Amino acid sequence: MATEVKLPRLGQGMESGTIVRWLKSEGEQVAKGEPLYELDTDKVTQEVEAEASGVLLKIAIPEGEVEVGRTIAFIGKEGESVAAVEAPAAPAPKAEPASNKLLQPEPERVSEPTTNGRIKASPLARRLARERGIDLSSIQGTGPDGRIVAQDVETPAPAASRAPAPVAAIGEVTSQPLTNIRKTIARRLTEAWTVPVFTLTVSADMTRANQLVASRRELDPDVRVTVTDLLTRVCAQALARHPEMNVQYTEDALLSFPNANVGIAVAAPQGLVVPVVHNAEQLTLVQIAQKRGDLVARARDSKLRAEDIDGGTFTISNLGMFDVDQFVAVLNPPQASILAVGVTREQVVPRDGELVVVPLMTMTLTCDHRAVDGATGAEFLKTVKAFLEFPGLAL
Amino acid sequence: MPELSYREAVRDALATAMREDDSVFIMGEDIAEMGGSMGVTSGMLEEFGRERVRNTPISEMALAGAAIGAAMQGMRPIAEIMYEDFMTLAAEQVVNQAAKLRYMSGGQLTVPVVFRTQGGAGWSPGAQHAQQLEAWFVHIPGLKVVFASTPEDVRGLLWSAIYDDNPVVFFEHRTLYGIKGNVPEKIEPIPIGKARVHREGEDVTVIATGRLVHESLQAAEEAEKQGVSVEVVDPRTLQPLDEETLVASVKKTNRAVVAHEAVTRMGFGAEVASVLQYQAFDWLDAPVERVGAKFSPLPFAPVMEQFVVPHADDVLQAILRTVNR
Repeated sequence: MATEVKLPRLGQGMESGTIVRWLKSEGEQVAKGEPLYELDTDKVTQEVEAEASGVLLKIAIPEGEVEVGRTIAFIGKEGESVAAVEAPAAPAPKAEPASNKLLQPEPERVSEPTTNGRIKASPLARRLARERGIDLSSIQGTGPDGRIVAQDVETPAPAASRAPAPVAAIGEVTSQPLTNIRKTIARRLTEAWTVPVFTLTVSADMTRANQLVASRRELDPDVRVTVTDLLTRVCAQALARHPEMNVQYTEDALLSFPNANVGIAVAAPQGLVVPVVHNAEQLTLVQIAQKRGDLVARARDSKLRAEDIDGGTFTISNLGMFDVDQFVAVLNPPQASILAVGVTREQVVPRDGELVVVPLMTMTLTCDHRAVDGATGAEFLKTVKAFLEFPGLAL
Repeated sequence: MPELSYREAVRDALATAMREDDSVFIMGEDIAEMGGSMGVTSGMLEEFGRERVRNTPISEMALAGAAIGAAMQGMRPIAEIMYEDFMTLAAEQVVNQAAKLRYMSGGQLTVPVVFRTQGGAGWSPGAQHAQQLEAWFVHIPGLKVVFASTPEDVRGLLWSAIYDDNPVVFFEHRTLYGIKGNVPEKIEPIPIGKARVHREGEDVTVIATGRLVHESLQAAEEAEKQGVSVEVVDPRTLQPLDEETLVASVKKTNRAVVAHEAVTRMGFGAEVASVLQYQAFDWLDAPVERVGAKFSPLPFAPVMEQFVVPHADDVLQAILRTVNR
């Protein structure tokens, strides 16, 4: 019996995805774990791996948007026939050539085990799905006879690397259809623009912060701690002390979060992504650096998973490495605040009646005024500044 | 730490108890001059004399009954049943008398007797001298059942069995008598009803008894090379069973293999599988695999005997099935 390849749910809330292209052709051998097709969701574009080994008997849906759980292909033995698949209502995939022998309908095969209401899943997988509110029918099992096992619930489908887009020739205007990720950026930032915001700017003396980062690097040359890591730690600690900042505004309630899940804006090749360091208030500087290193590397390789970008409660956008003095960041909805960080520059400042040269870093906090008041934001920013100037306070 | 063979470890527990305690004595077929058919009691006649190292007629029923009677009178006898297969001849006394008397007398009688016996294939003894019949006795309320797999365990558990006030059926494995292992200088009693985790692992728990403990440890080594981390647990006591340790291990690894030399059908492993599926149902990520002998009388032909009983590779294949490889 051929194995049905179904569109996986790669994260909670994912209802559909767009098949960009197939990396294998019909009739070709595929091994379990080999990249099979490229899938574009509203969060990431990734290669999806084959969940069974055999011959790719049939590609039911060559490209286009498909809802989660729909059968999109069949993998089985050479010469095996497969069931007909009803075409998705909309948007329609490219029509299949009528002469395709593999399309001969075989009604008795349509009633696969999953269609009689009984889904094969291990007791552990059932419990995990129940606890996490995941619909088992949305998951493709990788166990014997397609049984859903715990791993299928925990990590739906690993992403793989993606080839870089070709560079356009000089002098030509090129038109490229919007990727889902670009559409998402556009939609969410437009949405952010409708939010009433205020911004607060402050500069911090980075003398001690820089010393701390430098000595930390000396202590642990393998883990390259950066100013962004320190900022992540400092902001997480400041959020823990100002829980009224760790909130989200919704139509009928203000949500307060128990943990500081700090997003870090990353310029990835395919566009802006914001991987999240979850529970950052519980992590040491070195742990944050390791986590950030892994997330940023995977963001640049398009290898982020849905859970890497879900659940942020605060965002840091650092453009210091581009020599930007200061800037105002647009909110990352539904989060209530975002910190825009500029470069650290030596500046002359008067101190105790004398002119001294100190490394100053300018930060601008953008807040959702529906959720946070100006004084609240200012107090938070004061704590961030104090923690940067006297990092010991954030320990 | 001294090194003892499994055989020497059994003898050390018997001899030490007899030196320290006049109520302890041994009886069985050919255990005196001959030292028992497996040589376990070799030399004990010289040290303890005929009163305490008693040869019996070739009647397992008679010798089991005599041991039970002595136990009821306040002695702590250890009866050697030469082959596990012959436990079937002693069964009336063990099952209907020893197991029941404390209960039926409302606690007025205790029967602190140990029935030591041995079995196990691997030396071509044929169908009547190597069966593994532990499942027969774990089914009987009123009996404790021990099956030790290492010199340290066999010595510490035999000591506890001798000093338990209930009848204990004590299984030894024929092919383990020669294995050696370190034991504590002084005998440390091992509590009856306590499993031993031989090896910790993350992916699969193998619950094994007797010879299969060693086969499972070997399978675990091989599985490790293939990236599967295996925990090996020996219950050591089959009745009472340390369910807590077994269930905790499976809740950690989410997969289980039970392995014994006895035939799989209605075997001890079936009970363990039932305990696991009931107490760890929501933690299981694969069906519990069972490894045991094929459902056949043991063949005499060595090649056929090896075909019927399980080995490390059978355990390895079961491990790999649970992780779907």
